[in-house]
Amino acid sequence: MLEIRDLNAFYGKLQVLWNVSLQVREGEIVAIVGSNGAGKTTLLHSILGLVRPASGSVTFLGRRIDGLPSYAIAEMGVTVVPEGGRVFPEMSVRENLEMGAYPHRAWERRKEALKYVYQLFPRLKERERQLARTLSGGERQMLAIGRALMSRPKLCLFDEPSYGLAPVMVKEIFEIIQKIREQGVTVLLVEQNVRRALEIADRAYVLENGRICMEGECAELLESDHIKKAYLGM
Amino acid sequence: MKILLEVLITGLLMGGLYALISVGLSLQYGVARILNISHGEFIMLGGMTTWALYTALHISPLLALAICGPLALGLGYLIHRTLFKRLLDRAPSFAVFEGNSMLAAFGLMFILQNIALIAWGAEIRGYSYLSIPVHFLGTLFGANRLLTFGIALAIGLAFYLFLNLTRTGKAIRAAAQDPATAGLMGVNINNVLALCFGLGAAMASVAGVLISMCYPVHASMGLEYTVIAIIVVVLGGLGSIPGSFLGGFILGLVGSIVTFLEPGLALVAYYIIFIVLLLIRPTGLLGR
Repeated sequence: MLEIRDLNAFYGKLQVLWNVSLQVREGEIVAIVGSNGAGKTTLLHSILGLVRPASGSVTFLGRRIDGLPSYAIAEMGVTVVPEGGRVFPEMSVRENLEMGAYPHRAWERRKEALKYVYQLFPRLKERERQLARTLSGGERQMLAIGRALMSRPKLCLFDEPSYGLAPVMVKEIFEIIQKIREQGVTVLLVEQNVRRALEIADRAYVLENGRICMEGECAELLESDHIKKAYLGM
Repeated sequence: MKILLEVLITGLLMGGLYALISVGLSLQYGVARILNISHGEFIMLGGMTTWALYTALHISPLLALAICGPLALGLGYLIHRTLFKRLLDRAPSFAVFEGNSMLAAFGLMFILQNIALIAWGAEIRGYSYLSIPVHFLGTLFGANRLLTFGIALAIGLAFYLFLNLTRTGKAIRAAAQDPATAGLMGVNINNVLALCFGLGAAMASVAGVLISMCYPVHASMGLEYTVIAIIVVVLGGLGSIPGSFLGGFILGLVGSIVTFLEPGLALVAYYIIFIVLLLIRPTGLLGR
């Protein structure tokens, strides 16, 4: 579904990604793990059209999307739950959700999607008319996930969904990510919380200093000495 | 007592026009991040065009509304697409863009003003339209004043509903709060920014048409209205439409009271309000 080949990207004059290649197949949960500054966010931003890669290609459903503007990529069915949620603070919960349905193919059926999201997050329904800036951190994250689902995505990217949340909330969010996959949405998950990510994903790529240093089935990665030592503190 | 009522109503009627002017600027600065110094020139263009249409071709100012609004919308959209979009692409940050775009707007102001001077000369122009006295709350007012007030309110309300109820309106609000995230949700930001600049220009030119129905117009009238619009926007709170209306009414009332007491001091009073406000509440009355 998504294929990245030999991607090189810069932040200013600094090269952040070096020959990154990865692929995500339909129906999978794929994790990209790595420490802070490893290039995870830049990788995500090159998929979303926020960073223009210097070389290499990003292909979604057989079409090159590197170099396309963000809105065109969103129209194709790629959505994101940004780090920290990035909900629109001065809009109500409901309006935030409606913004998620902005792509044409989703807008017509937004009422249906709204019902589905409220079913998934009853708390959002309760707070329908509240401004998003009055929500707690966990609720904002839920709103951001709901907003992403409103677009009827084929591929949903998660940028550090557990960042800054209480452990109970983290557990809930990760359960929801699994539920979303069961609904037929393919998931690409970027996480610093390596253990959690490897527990729910099918496959994972380990990013270190802008290079993919390991990849494979999560069950295997969890057994690897390098992962245990560097990321799991064992 | 009757005089006081007259002064107050005059202020409110003026305030409606100020509000309309300011909503446009608020949109351009709040969403497109352009402190549009040439805002008043679009008011002038609206007013002068209406005068020209009325005197040369006997076209009703109400019809001029329907001509000037869409024309200014198109012109503003085009100016953003060609001029400001390039500045935005080149600027490393929004802060740099704000500085550059303000300078570009200064240039635009001189260009538009001089085109108007060449086309229509520097004379003060006016025409008489619907200046029939009407009894209103025990006082007498020109029918044109009441009509322009009603139109200004209606446009303000329509625009408020547009922003809150339509798909495009919501996209504008989302883009004002977080342009990058709005883009990720599928909003074509460049289109929205150009649309905002165009809508701001359209509201200015419509306000210009309304102003010409009540007051004389001339090619260098723009800057005074730009200053008023900036003060009202800061007074009401940037990006807030109710704020623009509140600010517009306050400034209209102050202007009318001060003009009644000492006609030369209205602009001075505006500046005093501006300075005091910046010291006490720089985010404006309804700003956050």
